[in-house]
This record gives sequence, C-alpha cells and structure tokens, in this order.
Amino acid sequence: MLYRAGVDVGSTQTKAVIVDETGTMVAKVLVDTGSNVVKAAERAFVQAAEQAGLQREQVDYVVGTGYGRFNVTFGNDQITEISCHAKGIAHVNPNVRTVIDIGGQDAKAIKIDETGDVKDFVMNDKCAAGTGRFLGNSAEVLNLSLDEIGERSLQAKVPVRLSTVCTVFVETDILSHLALGRSVENILGGVHSAVAARVVALARRVGVEREVALTGGVSRNVGMVHALEKHLEVPIYVSPDAHFMGALGAALFANERAIAVAG
Amino acid sequence: MAENAEKRNYRGRLHDLQKDLMNDYFDQMTRSANGEGDPSVYLLISGNPVELLRAFDLLPIYPEINALQTAVKKKALPFIQKAEEIGYSTDNCAYVKADIGLYFSGNQAPMAKVPPPSLLLTNYVGCNVYLHWWEHLSELTGAPIFDIDIPFLRTPDGEPRPEDIQYVMRQLGDLIPILERISGKRYDPDRLREVVELSRETGEYWAQIKLLTQLRPSPFDAYFDAVTMMGPLYALRGTKEGRDYFRDAYLELQQKVAQHEGPLPEEKYRLVIEGPPPWPYLRTFREMFERWGAVFVASSYSTVGGLWEFGFRHDPANPLESVAMHMLKWNLTNRNFLQRYAQLKSYVDEWGADGLVIHSVKSCRLFSAGQGDMREYFARQLGVPTLLVESDLEDQRYFSPAQMRTRIDAFMESLEHHKLVSHG
Repeated sequence: MLYRAGVDVGSTQTKAVIVDETGTMVAKVLVDTGSNVVKAAERAFVQAAEQAGLQREQVDYVVGTGYGRFNVTFGNDQITEISCHAKGIAHVNPNVRTVIDIGGQDAKAIKIDETGDVKDFVMNDKCAAGTGRFLGNSAEVLNLSLDEIGERSLQAKVPVRLSTVCTVFVETDILSHLALGRSVENILGGVHSAVAARVVALARRVGVEREVALTGGVSRNVGMVHALEKHLEVPIYVSPDAHFMGALGAALFANERAIAVAG
Repeated sequence: MAENAEKRNYRGRLHDLQKDLMNDYFDQMTRSANGEGDPSVYLLISGNPVELLRAFDLLPIYPEINALQTAVKKKALPFIQKAEEIGYSTDNCAYVKADIGLYFSGNQAPMAKVPPPSLLLTNYVGCNVYLHWWEHLSELTGAPIFDIDIPFLRTPDGEPRPEDIQYVMRQLGDLIPILERISGKRYDPDRLREVVELSRETGEYWAQIKLLTQLRPSPFDAYFDAVTMMGPLYALRGTKEGRDYFRDAYLELQQKVAQHEGPLPEEKYRLVIEGPPPWPYLRTFREMFERWGAVFVASSYSTVGGLWEFGFRHDPANPLESVAMHMLKWNLTNRNFLQRYAQLKSYVDEWGADGLVIHSVKSCRLFSAGQGDMREYFARQLGVPTLLVESDLEDQRYFSPAQMRTRIDAFMESLEHHKLVSHG
C-alpha cells in the first residue's frame, strides 16, 4: 500500500493528514505553527507518519497548502487552501455546495460543485474581523480559553451589541461592557454574533446554497456554529474532521497526482 | 503544473524607446522647473486634452504620472507620510498625498524636478477629490485654476447630448485666451489642426496595437506592457516623437505577430483586467500571473485616457470638437456603469478571455465603487470566472504579497481545473 500526505500550514496551527491509495485517512496531526514555519510543517508530517506507523519513505507524494504552503520544503506541489478545503469537503460530504472556512487570520466562503470543483470564492481582506483571531482576542480579555468561550456563549440571554468589528478595539469594547456589569455569557454571545454577521456577509457574496459546511479551526467552536446557523437560517454541517479539511484535501490531491504520475 | 511556466520577460524596443522618450520628457520638466523651458500646465489623465497645450507650446504635466512613476520606483511612501504628517487622512487618495508630499519636499521627484504650474486645468470633474487636489495646489502655488465642467454620460444610450457638447465647446472658447496669456502666443488654428492630426495618427496606431491582442498568442500583455505605452500616449501625444513612437511600436508588435511570439513562452490563459495597477508592486503582481502562463489581453485601465480601440479618432477638420468629444465620450471614467460593463464584456467576448480579474484600489473610491456588483454580474449572470482582489495603486502598505498570491493561485487553480474538464 502507498500513502500520500497533505500538510496545511496555517497562521496559528499546522495540520498534517495521511491517506492511503483509496483516499482513506490513516493519520491526522495538529501542531502549533509557532515562529518556525518550516519546522512546524516537518514536525506535523513526521508525527502523522508515526501515528500511522509508517516510515517516511512510504509516503511518496506530499502537497503543501495554507498560507505557509511554500514552506513545506519536502512537498511535491503547493495548492491553495481554497482548492483543498473544497476537495476535502466533497470527499466527506458530496452534498455540500457552500464551504465557510474560518481560520486563525482569515475567513472564506467557497462555492463548489459535487466534485469539489471551486465555482467561486471570496475572502476577508486586510482585516481580521470575522476570523479566529477576533475570538482569540476576546477570550484573552475575558481570561478564558478558546475551548470554553463557544459553550458559554450559548448561555447568553441578552447578547450585547459590540460597537466595533475591529479585532484590536474589541478589547476595550469588552472592558466597557464588563464595567457596565454585563455577564460574560452575554458578552460572548455578542462576540460570536459579530463574527457570524461578518462571515455571513462574506458568504452571501458568493451566494449561499445548501448544504453549508463549516471548516477550519473555528469549526470546533459550538457557539460559532450556533451563531452562524442563526444568522444564515440554515443548518450547518460540521464534519468531525472539519479542522483537518485543508490537509485532507491536500492529501487527496497528492493521491490523485501520484496516481497520475504513475500513469 | 502550469504554475511552473518557464520565465521569460518580454522586453522589446518599445520598452527601451519609451524609457528614452520619457527621460527626455522628464528632462524638459526639470528644465521648466529651473526656469529654462516652456511654462507648464497641470492636467488630469482622464480624456486629457493635451492637444490644446501642445498647440501653445505649453508643457503638459500630469501629477498622476509623477505619482505613479514615484510609486513604481518604490519611493512614494515618504511623500505619502509627509502628507499624512500635515494632516491628510489615511483614507485620502494616495496619488494626492504623494503629490502634496512631493510639493512639501521641494518638488524633487525621483525622475525629475517638477515645475510649479502656470495653470491648473481640471479636464475631468467626475472625481471630487481631484478637484480639491487642484484647489490645494492652487492655494500652495498661487497658480490659477481653470475648471472645464464635463457633464457625465448619464443617458441610457451613453451619448452626450448636443447641449453638452456646446457647453464644453463654449468653455474651451473661454480657455483659449488664458492659454494665450500664459504662453505669450496667439491662438493659431492651423497649428492646432497640425497637433490634432498628429494625435489622430497616434490614435490610429494605438488602436491597431490594442486590437493585436485579439490574436493568439497575444503579442504583448495589454495590462503590464500597455501601461508602458501610456506615458508617451498622454505626455507626448500631439508631437512627432509621440506619433513615431507608436508607429515603431506597431511595426515591432506586428513582427511579433508574424513570428507567433507573445510575452510568455506559452500562453495558457487569457485574462481581462479591470482597475489600476498596484504600481509599487507591479513586477510582483505581474509574476503572480506569469507563473501560471496567464496573459492579460485587455485592460480597462488603459482606456482611462481614451477609448481609441473602440473607434475614437481626433479630427483635424473639427479640432476643438474632437477634443471636447474625447473628454465627454471617449474615455472610460466619464462613462456610466452599463457602458463600463459592456466594455469589459466585449473584451471577454471579442478578445477571447478565460476570465476577469478586478483589482480594486483603496485610494480610488470612484474607480472601485460598484466593483462588487461588477464581480457578481460577470460571475453569476454571465458565468465568467471572476476574481476580485484589493490593494492600492500608490501606497505600498496596502499590498500584502502572501494574501494576494493565495487569491490569485486559487483562482488560477480553478481555471486550470475548468480547462482540464472542458478539454476532457
């Protein structure tokens, strides 16, 4: 059996996925990207190989994706995360037509067909509003971990209305709501709603067609899934591997290309 | 993969000649600044009536060209910051800021010393910011302003009304005595006819050049190489040197056609582009498309100064009227949105393009307004693969290479996929 890998180097986290010739996922690994992007890619790949019990040589084709795709020095090809998320999601759920991917520093909406072909896409520009970073900064001000803010936002009774969508100024905005005695839950409700509104505006620019899937690191946040469903008024599909969708897509491209090369 | 297309930069005689001609032009600017040359008149690119100035031996100065030349050399930021120190907002047009900053830095641009204006001519009123730019320059230099109020093309058929034409003609009549006073020369209709004839010939060559990109392969890039030719088109139109340049460029490009040569070793994708270039990152931006084997076969930006490829010619039999029609009807920026859409659509259809790229710039809200709708119209209603990217035409701080590259790569990946599928 031959194996292929996809390594998705994101701004915050690096993901590696290994698939076998049939496209079945045999390993998935997540590491923090940190300051050395090349090493993060290497580390994620080596750990994925270990997880699958493989020697490095058994993985004969690697595709790099994500903003650090050119730092996957051992990669055979580089493909953007837009194509890779589309490819990955079509593999796990061919009914998906709209992909919303929210990562650490960007958000994108991708329109796809049943084969995972990208029909259209839009991304946030020059602004981190509507990205994971907005949630991260908010959590930090409230002295909470990223893992707990989603759950707690669901308990908001009267979500606050933030006066800014700026990822920097949201901190003072949150402090002023705290000073007014608003509960942490209501503030978090407002934070998630602000991100959702921003992302939904982006998604409507490509046109929202069902099914809608959420991928990327923020997909683990239940509060975000809930807020997006509320704003979009449609259910959102979240794969158990949503966080790895870019890496999975890259691994599937690697598999296709390795087969093509072999003739 | 397509993205590993072999790199070969097209640099022909037309690039070298352009450099020589523009250097001569900048030398004239420096001489004028030192009080040795002709008096200068500042004017705007959009539908520029440069013939009127040439007929009086006045030196045309385009602050937009000065700003973009400075940006191409990556020297604009200190000027922009100078203007911001004085109080210009970060949201202000960066062409304006680069120019105002230049003024407060002693008018020494990287390529020339810029002479103070003898007259500030507004030949385009569609941009409110530009009007204020001229007012600021007038305040600073004491030079008078002459506003030519050009009515916007607002009728459904996009034709100027007879009274619009008369209105502009009457204003040109008022302008002539002022040009006489500044130049110290009498208005000579024969001289104007001569200049307008040179412009007609220039326009003829330029139109023929722009139609060559309908061929496969396109002999040059109608964005990145076309902007090279825009300097002579605006600064030197109405002169023999300008006319000869376009004749030589046309002959050179015809040879390339005969040899089936394009700017890249292999033309894999043909694209149309809307919007001004990111001048400080022109080379980087070009490479982002070249690596995919993509060539721009048409660009709307290269028609801001005139729409020759759609039939406009100056008319020596009616020199003033043809100058008026140039400003009214035959330039991109005085046209309404439906006309702009139609122009891009004809580029896609008649120039045989695989997709449309819209480069939206932060500086120019006038240019960028409506580009979101434009994207939707082309992508959704016409089914033309369309990419919208954002940066700026002058301020390098708004160009993020990694973000830009991801968007372009993703767009090209999907075009590649379409091509593979449609060709089996």
